[in-house]
Formats: sequence, C-alpha cells, structure tokens
Amino acid sequence: MLVNGVSLRYGSQIALEDVSLRIARGSSFALLGPNGAGKTSLMSILATLRTADMGKVLVAGHDVNRAAQKVRRSIGVVFQDSSLDDRLSAEENLDFHGRVHGMPGKARRAAIDRVLDLVELSNWREEPVRIFSGGMKRRLEIARALVHDPEILFLDEPTVGLDAQTRDRIWTYLDGERRRRGLTLLITTHYIEEVDTADCICIIDKGRVIAEGSPAELKHAYGKPYLHVVIASPEVREQLLNAYEGAEVIGNGGVSIPADGEAFIPEFLARFGSRVSEIRFEAPTLEAAFLNLTGRTLRERFDGEREAQRAAGVRAGQR
Amino acid sequence: MSAFLPILRGIHGVWLREIMRATRDRGQLLGGVSRPLIWLLILGVGLNPYFRGEVFGEVRLVLPYNYLQFLFPAVIVLNIMYTSIQFAVSVIWDREFGFLREVLVSPMPRWAVLLGKVLGGATAATGHGILVLILARFADVTLAPWQVFQAIVYMFMLSFALTCFGVVLAGKVRSFEGFGVFSNTVILPLYFASSSVFPLDPSLTRTQLAVSYPEWLVVLIRSNPITYTVDVLRGILIGFNQFPPYIGLSLVAAGIAIFFLIALRGFGK
Repeated sequence: MLVNGVSLRYGSQIALEDVSLRIARGSSFALLGPNGAGKTSLMSILATLRTADMGKVLVAGHDVNRAAQKVRRSIGVVFQDSSLDDRLSAEENLDFHGRVHGMPGKARRAAIDRVLDLVELSNWREEPVRIFSGGMKRRLEIARALVHDPEILFLDEPTVGLDAQTRDRIWTYLDGERRRRGLTLLITTHYIEEVDTADCICIIDKGRVIAEGSPAELKHAYGKPYLHVVIASPEVREQLLNAYEGAEVIGNGGVSIPADGEAFIPEFLARFGSRVSEIRFEAPTLEAAFLNLTGRTLRERFDGEREAQRAAGVRAGQR
Repeated sequence: MSAFLPILRGIHGVWLREIMRATRDRGQLLGGVSRPLIWLLILGVGLNPYFRGEVFGEVRLVLPYNYLQFLFPAVIVLNIMYTSIQFAVSVIWDREFGFLREVLVSPMPRWAVLLGKVLGGATAATGHGILVLILARFADVTLAPWQVFQAIVYMFMLSFALTCFGVVLAGKVRSFEGFGVFSNTVILPLYFASSSVFPLDPSLTRTQLAVSYPEWLVVLIRSNPITYTVDVLRGILIGFNQFPPYIGLSLVAAGIAIFFLIALRGFGK
C-alpha cells in the first residue's frame, strides 16, 4: 500500500496535507492521532469512499481512482460507528455482505461459518442484531469485513467504547488472522497502549504525518526517560531544581528530572545518592512520545458533531 | 459474463434485503392493508349511491360502472404511491445509520446498488398493490387472468418509477422528520388533484366541463401525471379510459428512465 503526497480539504479546512506512507504486505500498521487529526479522512480515501484532492494512492497495487473496483475487492473495512443493519439477523448481515461481494452460494456459506466461529458468535447467528451488545456488534462487524477474504483490513477505531475483555478478544482475532492468512492490518486508534504490538506506527495530527516508525523507534526518538525522586528533606528539592534544567516538582512533593543519556543515573547517584530516600526510573513510553508530539489539548469538535447527528437519527428511528 | 454474474448476485442481495425488511415491518403491512379498506369500504361504499353522472338533476353522462368500481384502480395507485414514496425512508435510513458505506466499499457499481434497492422497493410496492387487487370482488370488479397479469406488470412499472421518484426526494431531505411532512404534501395533493376520486369526462367540451368543474381544477387535473397513470390501470381493470392509454404508459416509461438517472446522480454522495 502506498500513499504519496495526499491532500484533502473540506471547504477552507485542511483535513490532510501532503501525507505519504508506505505499508508493507502482511504488516500491521497503526495510525495514531488525537480526535480530528485526519485519521478517518485518510481511511476514507484508502477505502475509495472519498477522492483526494491531490496525490497518488495505491492499495494492494491498484490505484484508488482508476481501479476502485479492484481495490474494493481486496479490502475489508470496519467503520468507526456501526454499519450493520440491526433489523436483520447476524447471519443475514453476513450473507448480504457475501452477496454484494459477488460470492457464490457455497463459498458464502462456508465463509459465514468460518467468520462466525472466529468471533465466537455462532450461537447468535439467527438473532437480530438489534439485541446485540456493543461488543458483539463490533465483533460481528469485524467478522463481516472478513467474509470475502480481503488482503487488507481497515479498522477505524475498532475498540472505542468497549470493555477491556472485548478489546482483548478483538486483538486476539485480528492477530490470529494476520498470522494465519497474512492479512495486512491498518488500524486507527487513540488508545496508545493498543499500538504497542503494531509493526509500524504513524502519528498524525492536524492532517500531517509527524512521526513514523516502529514502537521502539518512536519511544527512543520522542519519549524521554524520567527519574522520579522522593526526597529526604525540603532543602534537597531546591538543590535538585537548581542542579537540573527541566526538573519539576510533582504531586507527592518529589521531583521529576529528565534523564537523558546512559551516564545520567550513575552521575546522579554520585551527586545526590545520599540525600534522597527513593528513586524510580521511568522508561520512555509511547504515551509520552505521543503527547510530546501532539501536545496536550483535546480536540473534541468532530466527535461532538457526529454524536449530535446520531442522536437525531435514533430519535427519528423510534417513531 | 464472468464479471456480470457477481453483479447479478449483488443486485439480488440488495433486493433480498429490501424484501426482508418490507415483510418484517408490521407497521407498513398494516398500512398497506388498512388504507385500501378505509378508502373502499368507507369512501367507496358511502359515496356509491351519489355517483350517477347527474349534473343539475339531468343525466349528462351514462357511466357503465358504479363508484366503487371507478375508485378501485385509483386505490391501487394510492397504495403504490404511499409504499413507493415511503421507500425513501429506507434510503435515508441507510445513509444516516451508515449502512450505505458498507455497500459503497463493496465492489458493486453504484448503479447496481441503486437498481437492487429500487427493484426491492418496487416489488414491495407492487405487493401492496396486489393486496388491493385481492379485494377486487368486494368492489364488484371481475377480473380475467389476462387482466390480472397486465395489471401486475403495469403496477410494477409504475412502482419502479415512483420508487425512483422517492429516492430523488430522499436526496433532498436531510432528516426523517422532514420526510414525513414532505411525503404527505406530495402524495395526497398528487392523488386528489388527479381524476382518481371523481371522473373527468373527456367527451364533454371545454365549456361543458367548465360548467361542471371550475376551470382551475380542470387545468390542474389535466396537467397531473397521476391522472393518466390511474387512467391506464382503470382501462386494464374496468375497461374504461378517459384518455388514450399510450399517454399514461409513456409517462410511466419516461418516469422510470428520468427518475432513475436523477436518483443515480444523487446516490451515494
């Protein structure tokens, strides 16, 4: 999968600006970014739902503009919010998907059995989706995206709003499929702990790629190790703050010091070792790297709008 | 051929979903049954004695049928109009609840998705028309198998055109609430301002007509396409035509082509 110099605007708003990516077959790729960063827009372009204003996009070797049909045949998409028909049963939803992907009857039935087994919903196949819980719907949706045996699976925030058990199960299914069939995964998320297992992470914000690499590389490059120090007496605090640039007082009255370089700790211990009661070394985390790159302000605007729209739809649907 | 078969499967899949939804929606079925009953039993039976072609106490037209028979084809068209145009709700539903995206990322071309949907809606609407057709004997309409066949084919064509019209409307409406009002302001005026509940006799001259009806109503009825489409069905079922049937047939054919193309242009945006 190749994305080269893609830009997209909504009116005067720039959604994506000169985004370039390369994703290898069979890898798992995570797009990480705060809300409204452009993750979903990028996903829509890759899934041929939207056309980029500029740039070239190849998915599974096909151009999304010129060979959209071929691209659609090789991808499966799990959207951010449910796109199941909740008045049909689980099986009917999957059957519909198989039919619109042009699968003949026998292959369709075999695939439906397989994916229902995979997401452990075989006992629910006859039940209408209306009565499913949020986690079951999401699992069914993942199953549906796998019915036609795609090469690439797009998942837009697949685990938002789910409990820890369901999230864990979803990752188990996806990892299993990836290993068994060489499925390429492209995931967007803002749960940082979930991308730790990805092969490659791309952090985007405000429509721009700001960092790309394996989790270890990102941690190393952008995360800073810290040393948390519990001090023996208040005078020591002053001394520490004076001695180290960037040192900060933290909640419990201790001090946090940026700990760069191999030599930092021995040197610190030599100078202050006798005057502190406890030290704790904080290894660089992805979270720290992420916050470091995107800043701490929340951008909820896009989510708010979507929620309002959904609520209106639900109200009208109840009539 | 190998590329064509998957598309056919897809169209069948989309069609099947519409049928499953239509048959499971109790409310729609109930409306499809109760609407014609009310129209035929209450309006039809109630007005039957007053329908004699008299103007100012003097018989001007001799009608070879009674009011119930006259109204019967129009009630079929009304039922089809309601179901077809209400079909737009299904399109809005798919759009608002995100199901549309599931279809748009599939390899099916858009025209095929729309065709499957419209065929599904048209089948459901024809089904509702057939519900009325079952009541034929209660409306003193006797039908030969050939007439039933012709009627069903014509009803399906009409349903297809009106369903496409519904999809075009759906493209203009952004909410469910808006559509409820919209459909009533479209369906009922179209229906009443056609020659569906009262006859407009073409054998009368323009001046004679103006004596029976105000000029504006005559103009309105003559310019309403539903007038001609009801007239064709009336010709098939009770053998009475006020206008040459080719007008209605060509209107329906044009409706199918034009509304489908407009619907396709706005579909999936």
